[in-house]
Amino acid sequence: MEGMFYSTQNVWTWWIAIYLFLGGLGGAAVVVSCLTNMYFKPHKQLVVWGNISAFIMLSVGSLMLFIHLLDHWAVINVLNPMILITKPDAWIAWGTQFIVWMLVWSIIYTLPYLLETKFWTEMPVVGTILGWFNWLGKLSLKLHKLIGWLAVINAFGTVLYTGLLLQSFPAVALWHNPGVPLLFLVSAFSTAIAFLLLVLYLAIKQEEDHELRVFYERSDVILIGIELMIIFVFFEYTTSGLESARHTAQILWNDMGWIVGFVVFGLIVPFLIEFKGVTKGWGGSKVPIVLAAVLVLGGGYLLRHYFMYAGVYERPYPAVNIIRQHSELKLELAPTNKVLALLPSHYSMASKLG
Amino acid sequence: MANTPHYAMVIDLNTCVGCNACMAACALENQTPVWDNKWRTYVHDMEIGTSTDDDVRRRFFPRLCNHCDNPPCMSVCPTGATHKLDNGIVLVDDELCMGCRACVMACPYDARYDVTSDDLEQGDKFFGELHYRTRPSVDKCSFCAHRVMRGLKPACVETCVGSARMFGDLNDPNDEVAKLVKTGVAKPLMAHLGTGPNVFYISDIERTT
Repeated sequence: MEGMFYSTQNVWTWWIAIYLFLGGLGGAAVVVSCLTNMYFKPHKQLVVWGNISAFIMLSVGSLMLFIHLLDHWAVINVLNPMILITKPDAWIAWGTQFIVWMLVWSIIYTLPYLLETKFWTEMPVVGTILGWFNWLGKLSLKLHKLIGWLAVINAFGTVLYTGLLLQSFPAVALWHNPGVPLLFLVSAFSTAIAFLLLVLYLAIKQEEDHELRVFYERSDVILIGIELMIIFVFFEYTTSGLESARHTAQILWNDMGWIVGFVVFGLIVPFLIEFKGVTKGWGGSKVPIVLAAVLVLGGGYLLRHYFMYAGVYERPYPAVNIIRQHSELKLELAPTNKVLALLPSHYSMASKLG
Repeated sequence: MANTPHYAMVIDLNTCVGCNACMAACALENQTPVWDNKWRTYVHDMEIGTSTDDDVRRRFFPRLCNHCDNPPCMSVCPTGATHKLDNGIVLVDDELCMGCRACVMACPYDARYDVTSDDLEQGDKFFGELHYRTRPSVDKCSFCAHRVMRGLKPACVETCVGSARMFGDLNDPNDEVAKLVKTGVAKPLMAHLGTGPNVFYISDIERTT
């Protein structure tokens, strides 16, 4: 049919972008901290910081997702592990199970370290609760590597699912392509390593971690470099591809928040700072690397924020439901919706009723 | 399976007069939250043509859930609330729906909308004791499955004064809808997405020059 209309959506907005960001960051933090502890350098403090932080991030993210639901009681249907047998094609079902089991296994993996730390055992309430699980801590130590791998596998699934979820929406060219899961995967690990660098520099502050910090910095430089290449591929894809992708390109590449906020300060600047750090060093100063890590974290959120807002639907008629839900939420109009709002009045629902 | 019907709808854009009776009939039949501009079917009122007055014409474009053979709203649904019957009708079980709105994001046809707790309260006032909705969910057209199972046509088809909406069985070679689809006169929307839509349109645009 002739005459297509293009619109963004306002159903999943910054609220979901925060969830996707925390899900990717938390999941990747568990993967990196557990694998570091198992195969690179035994590091109890890093595991505690990484896994407890991930627990908080995923708890907050999941709570945000829960609040967003229309029927909170019905969430029980997706918490049941049998859902993977009845709905194996739904990535939210997989994601829910990955998150739940990641939280369970990562806490059990961390439990022995918590039980031998006075800070935790003497903490009111938490210390009492930890005391109930002494037996589990001993059991965890006996099967520590197995439990670590169970945490890693589920955490990796959590990271991967955030991208696969967006990819499963076929109507939007920006989302429905194999680049999205890869981009979100690389971004998640980049932000997680940035977060763990902040932990190592600002919280743990041990001189003997120098080798580990250098390893993380080198890894982050490579990941940011790969992310920059993927963004360039997306630039090519959106500017010369399907019409809805070209509308996405118009939104993204005319927005200073995307260009300056994400591409420049979220990727290029931290890449240059960390590249200098791993090649020539910063003379022992931790400030540049801390700054780069903060920028990477900010960029990680902005990537997901703009991906949610810049997904463009192509339809043979103007959007009705999505525009309506947008007005209900009273959020800022996304750029393409602003254009739609300027269309002649006979396209609007108001004229339909009036 | 040969005897199982495969329901589909053909919409003739040449005969839709834009009376919106289909919207009204659907809203009453299915108790949609019209106070919040939420419809299972909607008739777009559009102008098409070039900028010169002679070329511009008015087009009414009814739209609804396309009851896809490969519905993306169903595959993304994490609870199984959105499901497909053997006869091709895609339904929503509001007992299972948790309202994550992934289906809204996945639907290429803008066919899904929220029924919120506020809508349920308003529905009690609007529809009175006949109001049947009890749970929030993400609703959509059901091809009036409750009517079709009793041998009736969907409410929007029944009420259409211009016979613009036709409902039939694609598995019945003698069915008018099946013939219109098979001859290629009626075409689906955005079939390239792989959704296998079962609502087909007869275009009102003809080459005149």
